Amino acid sequence: MDLERAIGRLVTVGTYLSVVLLAVGVVGLLAAGRSPLDGGPPLDPGHIVGDIAALRPEGFLWLGLIVAIANPAARVMLALGGYLRLGERGMAVVAMLILGVIVLSVGLAIGTEG
Amino acid sequence: MLGGGAAAGLFGSLLGLGGGILIVPILTFGFDLPLRDAVGVSLVSVIVTSGASAGVYLERRIANLRLGMVLELFTAIGALIGGLIAFLLDERVLAALFAALLVYVAVTMGRNSTRPTAPSGDRRAGPPESATRPDRTSVFVDRLSGSEYHVRRLGPGAAGSVGAGVVSALLGIGGGAVLVPVMHLAMGVPLRVATATSNLMIGVTATASAIIYLLRGGIDPFVAGPTAIGVFLGATLGSRTAHRVDVRVLRLLFVVVLLYTAFQMVRRALGVA
Repeated sequence: MDLERAIGRLVTVGTYLSVVLLAVGVVGLLAAGRSPLDGGPPLDPGHIVGDIAALRPEGFLWLGLIVAIANPAARVMLALGGYLRLGERGMAVVAMLILGVIVLSVGLAIGTEG
Repeated sequence: MLGGGAAAGLFGSLLGLGGGILIVPILTFGFDLPLRDAVGVSLVSVIVTSGASAGVYLERRIANLRLGMVLELFTAIGALIGGLIAFLLDERVLAALFAALLVYVAVTMGRNSTRPTAPSGDRRAGPPESATRPDRTSVFVDRLSGSEYHVRRLGPGAAGSVGAGVVSALLGIGGGAVLVPVMHLAMGVPLRVATATSNLMIGVTATASAIIYLLRGGIDPFVAGPTAIGVFLGATLGSRTAHRVDVRVLRLLFVVVLLYTAFQMVRRALGVA
């Protein structure tokens, strides 16, 4: 499979995975009779697995949001591997720089919090 | 919220806009959400919505992956800057900026609805930028070009992409309103390729700022979930029915809605709404 096709497939699968997780969370929210305007819990990665195991909607919603946000970064990582394999150093550097900006945004968000 | 998201996705898809320009006003005026929180939710929604079509555009080789990645390096830098600025700005300033965006889009749509359709040929595609300087940079730029067009003026394209990233992060939109004209008019990329490539770039652009909103508590999962699902369903329906709908009347009606929403945003900016 060529690089474009592989990346396209990854983006599609990641998108539908996030949509399914979000949809399960929304159904759980409705089934529990909770309003979206009640305000959800803050992000706590340590609680996501437990929430999902307990079928709490917030676990599915947070995981769906994380998958959605991580999907583009995963696409860049796949492109990085592909361009390295093809020997396209210029594009590999571009992919590394994009990942660097994403990592920097995580660092700055945490570092300048509060 | 599902319905509001679906309406945003449906109309956005029918009119060739991302959902973001509608999601933020719907959440702000319809559900009384703070503007900054609405922007965070909108960013996640545009990532989800653009993802489905971006995958298809890539598999069908309509989107230009290499060009998209080079430009999204700059949109991501802009989005990082915009995401940080968004938490420093007063909400009233954000409301004023959003009002300006709404007026810009309304004027652009109004002009397009009264103008005949442009011929399909790509008259703007120029000679390769690299024609006069055959060096390593020129080889790199040549690789960004497609089989039927040559990318030119990478510098202005990069600068425009930084601007698109800042606007996306501040206002919760995909940035296509800036990116498509930059690629098509400044860089000589055919409109169809520019639209598909812009769609691909939305993911990384919005991710760079959505991370900041997420980690700073600017995204409520209870609001983001139903809104993103609604936008996704609406956009899917819109893309399947677009060929059956005469969008001219819809577009004019939409211009009125955008101008009214801009008026409400101005009132919010002035502290009277």
